[in-house]
Amino acid sequence: MSALWIAVAVWLGAWALNVWLAGQPLSRRGFGRALVPLIFGATVLVLWEGLVRGLGVAPVILPAPSAIAAKISTSMPVLWQDFAQTILRGAIPGFLIGCGAAFLTAIAIDRSPFLQRGLLPIGNFVAALPIVGLAPILVMWFGFDWQSKAAVVVVMVFFPMLVNIVAGLQASERMQRDLMATWGASYWQSLIKLRLPAAMPFVFNGLKIASTLALIGAIVAEFFGSPIYGMGFRISTEVGRLGLDMVWAEIAVAALAGSAFYGLIALIERWVTFWHPSQRH
Amino acid sequence: MSRALPVLTVLAGIVAIWYAAAVWMNAKWVYDQAERAGQQVTWAEVIPQTMNQTRPLLPPSHQVGAELWKGLFGQAVTSKRSLVYHGYVTFKGTMTGFGLGIIVGVLLAMAIVRFRVMDQSVMPWAIISQTIPIVALAPMIITLSSQLGISGRDVPKAIIAAYLSFFPVLVSMVKGLRAPDQMQLDLLKTYSASQTETFLKLRLPASMPYFFASLKVAVAASLVGTIVGELPTGAIEGLGARMLIGSQFGEPLIMWAALFAAAILAGLLIVTVGLVERLARRRMGVPA
Amino acid sequence: MKRLITAAFLAAAASGASAEDVKLQLKWVTQAQFAGYYVAKDKGFYEEEGLNVTILPGGPDIAPTQVIAGGGADVVVEWMPAALAAREKGLPLVNIAQPFKSSGMMLTCLKETGIKEPKDFADKTLGVWFFGNEYPFLSWMSQLGFKTDGSPGGVTVLKQGFNVDPLLQKQAACISTMTYNEYWQVIDAGISPDDLVTFKYEDQGVATLEDGLYVLEDRLADPAFQETMVKFVRASMKGWKYAEENPDEAAMIVLENDQTGAQTEAHQKRMMGEVAKLTAGSNGALDPADYERTVATLLAGGSDPVISKAPEGAWTHMITDKALAN
Repeated sequence: MSALWIAVAVWLGAWALNVWLAGQPLSRRGFGRALVPLIFGATVLVLWEGLVRGLGVAPVILPAPSAIAAKISTSMPVLWQDFAQTILRGAIPGFLIGCGAAFLTAIAIDRSPFLQRGLLPIGNFVAALPIVGLAPILVMWFGFDWQSKAAVVVVMVFFPMLVNIVAGLQASERMQRDLMATWGASYWQSLIKLRLPAAMPFVFNGLKIASTLALIGAIVAEFFGSPIYGMGFRISTEVGRLGLDMVWAEIAVAALAGSAFYGLIALIERWVTFWHPSQRH
Repeated sequence: MSRALPVLTVLAGIVAIWYAAAVWMNAKWVYDQAERAGQQVTWAEVIPQTMNQTRPLLPPSHQVGAELWKGLFGQAVTSKRSLVYHGYVTFKGTMTGFGLGIIVGVLLAMAIVRFRVMDQSVMPWAIISQTIPIVALAPMIITLSSQLGISGRDVPKAIIAAYLSFFPVLVSMVKGLRAPDQMQLDLLKTYSASQTETFLKLRLPASMPYFFASLKVAVAASLVGTIVGELPTGAIEGLGARMLIGSQFGEPLIMWAALFAAAILAGLLIVTVGLVERLARRRMGVPA
Repeated sequence: MKRLITAAFLAAAASGASAEDVKLQLKWVTQAQFAGYYVAKDKGFYEEEGLNVTILPGGPDIAPTQVIAGGGADVVVEWMPAALAAREKGLPLVNIAQPFKSSGMMLTCLKETGIKEPKDFADKTLGVWFFGNEYPFLSWMSQLGFKTDGSPGGVTVLKQGFNVDPLLQKQAACISTMTYNEYWQVIDAGISPDDLVTFKYEDQGVATLEDGLYVLEDRLADPAFQETMVKFVRASMKGWKYAEENPDEAAMIVLENDQTGAQTEAHQKRMMGEVAKLTAGSNGALDPADYERTVATLLAGGSDPVISKAPEGAWTHMITDKALAN
């Protein structure tokens, strides 16, 4: 049990440290901003380790973080192969195609209020549907390799993106559009110089949602048939083999990839929409 | 009418594309079968044969509609073959997860707004939590909850649903609780209001529009979570389980019908939440 | 919060099932593959023994071995390769009964791909189930000398989902099927048996033992648990024999217990007929010769063997001896 109590003590100590840190001016910028969440994350891991060791939880139920870290370090090639298959070949192409298609569709129906009024409610509705359920069907259509995974991702990201872009294109104000008109701007000039930039906060909102959906879609689709590598494949087979350390290693990779993807989009957003109030500090 | 017409036009377009795709996709099977039987088929013979296969690649809409009708109205709603029954099971899971998600989201948001340390430690991890694909965690959640002495699959299902639905509530509530501006906060200070009073009389009411706006997103997320929870984890009851069985036993019609039943359920949930939102806004005096 | 978790962990460890409550975790969803247990429950065979049995259906993400490790079940239906692999991973599972005498697993191929015998697999795509079911396949391929990494001259392996679509859509030349389930789905889909070539694992000499009953070794030391298991196995075997003799009735009982309501009578009746062929010849006791063959097959499992050494104490006749004595 002593491991458990040590872990609890570390937790309390780290929490006190965080309370102190949060009150310091240091924690408001740069490195300090990252420090507090990092300490918090580390204490969760310590507590987890302590719980597993202190209570003697079997590794086939919940492996300790140290065991997972050891597994990650010894299975880098496998993890990389799975990452390449699921993220690089499944999620990212699907994400790009889906977002691109949504963008083109939004532009295509931009001039037709009739189509917009017809497509928007349907798009809104479909965006709220459990599209995940389509995964087995798309695997049947597009085969077991990455194409079907990308297809699932395309369908999952398309509608949330479409809805956000169409909403974004309507975000510019009447006054601003009138101003463009008085300058004699053509449709395309007004689109590129005013309406698209004005739509960007919405577009990035959609991209952020789509980035998490893309990962879920690519992994779920692998449950319904896949080659013998890929993150979803590994997770579903290793559960059967009781290789739980491997399962958690894949989860860690997924979390890392997901956060990096999300972070990248947030970074680009800050750069593109620097003018928006939400980016002011 | 002017609102319905565009929607109906687009819907008609979708159905037309659907039929065309069904003919195109199912035709291959007809040709293969003819080839195995050593026969030749013409286009005119192929088309009717693509409309009524037992395991079509893409069932045409009338087949799905018939199966859906049979599932919804073909038997008593208490029957295990009734989609109403399975929809209800999924609905229950969704609501439990939704409720749990709201509670967790609101409590976390309150703590985050109140304590700086919570804001800095927990908020980044809340975002990261959403980038972890829940499907990867689902089997872990099930074993861990059975280890904790929770039997049955309802609780893990609800946890999965709550995991997806707490986030929109959290984000909106943090925004909403911080919505009052400095002037308003200063005013309460001149009244020498305590922290609790400021919270109850200013922050909480100010956050309500944000709260209701997040519910629509949260309920949809909760439904996705429930179906994901039912899909791979002990296919027993619910729409997700039917999709899985449909896939496993090569009954695409069952799968499609379950998918559309889920769509109907999603529609009902969103409309209901929308109504609640409108009622609440009206009571609070916000023009709807 | 932390104390709560601790308390919950301790409570879970301390409680356990009361003497005559038995929780059985199935390997897959409710279907005639598990008819014996449903019949025993429905016909009151368990009740006659004074048992209160709860049958937990499985699913794609449920590993019975993990459920029993987590205390979610007292006894599980599992295939021997997965059980032995778990044993080597430190989860001491013991086979207490083996209702399935023969293996129902086979590879089903389309004749048009030109496959006539196992050596024709070279450079073809083969569908395999994973989740612990891939071991017999891998060991067979290694005996045939085929690499499974997709390199030229080897075979390309595809993780098959839960249905036969890869064969129907021609994404794979062969897929794994069970004699009692997926094979008939191929037939139902309109492909005649003449267009198919099948290779039964049983005929290829690489069959491994399928559905057996497994419990945790340390619990087996408890005489009270032993007694419960004796009753359980006795009643279960009675259920199996009843199911063999009355396949149609057994299928209907399974259908009654299918909570998804998506299974069909035709599927289940046929499955029951095929399953009965596999359970025939087993009185419940494990045949040590079958066990030895399973271990030999698994040890031959190529570069990444399932088990690295012959397990010890992985089965016992202790329960079946008592259960079948009277």
